[in-house]
Amino acid sequence: MNHENWSKLARIMSKRSLWMIHFCTGCGAMEMPPVMTSRYDMERFGMHAMATPRQADVFLVTGYLAVKTLKRVVQVYEQMRDPKYVIGFGSCTINGGMYWDSYNTIKDLSKYIPVDVYIAGCMPRPEAIMDSFLKLFDMIDKGEAIGWQKYHKYYDQYKRNQRMAFSYRLDEVKDIKEDDKE
Amino acid sequence: MMAKELFPEAQEIRKGRIRIETQKDKVGEIIKKLKDNGYEHFVMLSCVDWIKEGKFELVYQMWSYQYKEHVMISIKINRDGESMLSMRHLFPQIETYEREIHEMFGVNFIGNPNLKEFILEGWPHMPPMRKDFDTEKFVKDFYYKIPEVKEE
Repeated sequence: MNHENWSKLARIMSKRSLWMIHFCTGCGAMEMPPVMTSRYDMERFGMHAMATPRQADVFLVTGYLAVKTLKRVVQVYEQMRDPKYVIGFGSCTINGGMYWDSYNTIKDLSKYIPVDVYIAGCMPRPEAIMDSFLKLFDMIDKGEAIGWQKYHKYYDQYKRNQRMAFSYRLDEVKDIKEDDKE
Repeated sequence: MMAKELFPEAQEIRKGRIRIETQKDKVGEIIKKLKDNGYEHFVMLSCVDWIKEGKFELVYQMWSYQYKEHVMISIKINRDGESMLSMRHLFPQIETYEREIHEMFGVNFIGNPNLKEFILEGWPHMPPMRKDFDTEKFVKDFYYKIPEVKEE
């Protein structure tokens, strides 16, 4: 088998075993318990919550992101191993939603990290979340979920946007380190 | 003793709600006196921006479980850089309220060692809760100016 067939096979095998990083921001986290537990039961898709980013494949950004949270989101996203997928959750990640004029939340998540699937709604129902999972499986199958490749390819543009939002360079992470000490 | 007996100049807005308007150098002794007389709960410290008067109003709110009474101690300081004495030696939780007001309004509290950034990280702009901070303009100039990632 050549490399292309191998990667196709790997995609088919891995799409039914996606582990989700357990990182909840904003109010979208409220819709996750019914999805994860017995009512809607996301484990029948082979999806499971995982506490460490090193072992996770899917990142659900559940709702609005303050600039302070975005720093953590970028750190977590960069810690996840390839291939990794991002689902933008609710209208806040699309255009800011009801926080469109807030001084402290970002408006468009895809400017800072690549997003594979967006779910519209404020809040999206669990059915919509499950639908986005199926959409993501479909995209993985066809090889369209290539956000993680885009992050490598346009790394300088993503980094430039992140630094503009943070108002300082991400390399100088002394603020975050000082917080950890406390 | 109830607040009305301790401070005759206090005005009663309605039953169980007392307001004391005072000067900034008397706040410490008023809080101390109330604390010694049964008003043992410090509820919160809030700040109001009266931009037309050019003043910040600081409101220290206290509650008594014994008398079921809410006392508000209100002072006004100048908007342009007047500082206030810290009250953290009376109630330690005031330190956090002062830290928040320092960040959101830019009021300086003398004697508070912990006035570092609280919620906003690395915020180089004007304190955002001031009335002269134009939120909509700021958002348009800042977030909407960040370019989209161009794919070739």
